[in-house]
Amino acid sequence: MNLPLRLICVAMLQVVLTSIVTYFFVIDEYKTLSSNSLVTLERFLIDQKKQELKNYTEIALSAINKPYEFASEDDVSAQTEVAQLLNGLLYSEEDGYFFIYDNKGVNITHPKEPFRVGVDHWELEDENGEKIIQILVNNAKNGGGYYRYPWNKPSVNRSEEKMGYSVFLDKWNWMIGTGVYLDDVNKQLGSLQNEIDQHIGKTKTIILVVAFSSIVIIFLFGLIVNLTQKKRTDLKISLLGQRIINLQEEERRHHSRELHDGIIQVLVSIKYSLVATRMFIDKKEQDMPPALAHASSNLDSAIKEIRRISHHLHPRILDELGLSAAIKDISDEFSERTQIRTYLTMPAARKLLPDNISTTLFRVVQESLVNIEKHANASTVNISLVLKDKRLTLSICDNGCGFSTDSDSFDEQYGIGLRNLSERIQHHAGEFNVMSSEQGTCIVASIPTTSFVNHFNKNNIEEEV
Amino acid sequence: MKTEVDKSISVLLVDDHPMVQGGLKACLSFYDDIDIVGAIDDGSKVLAAAKEFRPDVILMDVSMPNTNGIDATEIVKEQLPNVQVLVFSMHNNAEFVTSAMQAGASGYVLKDSEPEMVYRAIKTVATGRNFYSSSVAQELIENPIRIQNEKLTTREQVVLSYIVKGKSSKEIGKALSISYRTVEAHRRNIKAKLNIESLAELIRYAVNHGLLDKH
Repeated sequence: MNLPLRLICVAMLQVVLTSIVTYFFVIDEYKTLSSNSLVTLERFLIDQKKQELKNYTEIALSAINKPYEFASEDDVSAQTEVAQLLNGLLYSEEDGYFFIYDNKGVNITHPKEPFRVGVDHWELEDENGEKIIQILVNNAKNGGGYYRYPWNKPSVNRSEEKMGYSVFLDKWNWMIGTGVYLDDVNKQLGSLQNEIDQHIGKTKTIILVVAFSSIVIIFLFGLIVNLTQKKRTDLKISLLGQRIINLQEEERRHHSRELHDGIIQVLVSIKYSLVATRMFIDKKEQDMPPALAHASSNLDSAIKEIRRISHHLHPRILDELGLSAAIKDISDEFSERTQIRTYLTMPAARKLLPDNISTTLFRVVQESLVNIEKHANASTVNISLVLKDKRLTLSICDNGCGFSTDSDSFDEQYGIGLRNLSERIQHHAGEFNVMSSEQGTCIVASIPTTSFVNHFNKNNIEEEV
Repeated sequence: MKTEVDKSISVLLVDDHPMVQGGLKACLSFYDDIDIVGAIDDGSKVLAAAKEFRPDVILMDVSMPNTNGIDATEIVKEQLPNVQVLVFSMHNNAEFVTSAMQAGASGYVLKDSEPEMVYRAIKTVATGRNFYSSSVAQELIENPIRIQNEKLTTREQVVLSYIVKGKSSKEIGKALSISYRTVEAHRRNIKAKLNIESLAELIRYAVNHGLLDKH
């Protein structure tokens, strides 16, 4: 994995971690904060209700003060008056009323549920098993107290949570109670909770969207950076490959030249010296030493051998006479060796191409002929070099058995030689194609004229005209 | 010591390698009727030297820096048609021989042939006949020489480049230091070899062959 890709992964990981931490931290904070404020609000609302209850109870107590204060312990008429008074004392649209039980749990008055009057409620339980009336009576005996329990709400005729407040009339052993229903408080708290939940949800979505879009952006950015870098690297590799090939060709050309123009010339001059020596000896009418004849013939084979090596390294004919002549030379040599006939079509013009292009095309011909000799089983080869429509096209077509052009057998039969040549041709902005059928194989390389335009003029015309 | 005789052939040596020059001089000095009038080492200096020494025969190497022997042959023959050029080379490919002949050389000897053969070659071309050394002759038998009339010479290609740039024969002659008539001859040859009549077609040919950077 390369460096930018690794950096991008680290960046994405960072974003993911940050998002997760932010997500949980923010959500947790939000929840704590909202539950705190909910508790505060509830307490405030309940306190308000308690105050209300107290106030109502005080009003009720002052209303019954007159008959109660001077009544005796068993003053039935006073008791009836008090019961009637409280029975008529309603508030909060019918849902606020007063009820009276004695200390044994028997109902004395209940304005909304008259069927309870005279019935013993001492053992009445709510669904949790709390004995409602006992607790209310106890609270009352202890000087007044609050108690929350479920009770039927008259306006909706449904059981709702109720907060009751009860006081005790010591003289008559009566518990007087009243209560407010808490459903509106709960509703208020619920809607607040809802609102908070909505906020939390929104925050969650925002965090997720931001995190996700960050990841996508980083990913795309990384992808683009990576692709451009890969492109650049590929280009560099291809350029480097071409440079290596050019250097290699340059090296071969150099060595060929050194051999041909250096060492062979020296050997030739030695040959002349040997001949001069022989002529000198001849003149004196003496016998020629056999060693001299030996030296001469050995020298000849040395010259021949070095010439062969030099030609093998790089055909000098390419430099001196150009591509057409070099192709003619190699195809003549090929025909002579293999008995495969070659037909050439070459342009009238010469030396149009820079060294690297002519060398590349020469290598294409060379490699193709090697392949034809090895695999094609052909009897004729057509080699043509045509300059037309601003393109130079070299084609080498044989009438051999062909081969299947799927990549496996291509590589197997043709090696990587032609693949390398294909890359070299592409380096000169050219195209390289191999076509094969049972009628034979064609290798076609074409290069636009723009790749070698004015090369001849640069080398042969001194001043720009 | 060689004696000056009337039939002595004057020879100009053109070879960039001093040791070859020295060896050849040593060998040819054994022949009294060869007179080496000068030796130069660069194809681009041949015309000036030939004008100065007026040799009968120029012994011309092929591979040389700057101008090669074949192009130099063409340039010399253009202005001094009576000077015979004997190409003297290490290359034994038929292509070299045909190119040399096309450029106007009268003979072709390989450098590693016996100096006696070089001597005979000089004598032969001096009389206006052609000469090929035996291994070149062998090449020619295998690949019979056919003067490629269809192929342009380097010089003709240079003239073509000037023509398609709109230069007149007079201007071209001035640029190449050759006569108007020579340019006209080149022009005829170019048209004949390419089988082209009009300037427009010449221009199209030049563009396709990268001799003209236009369109």
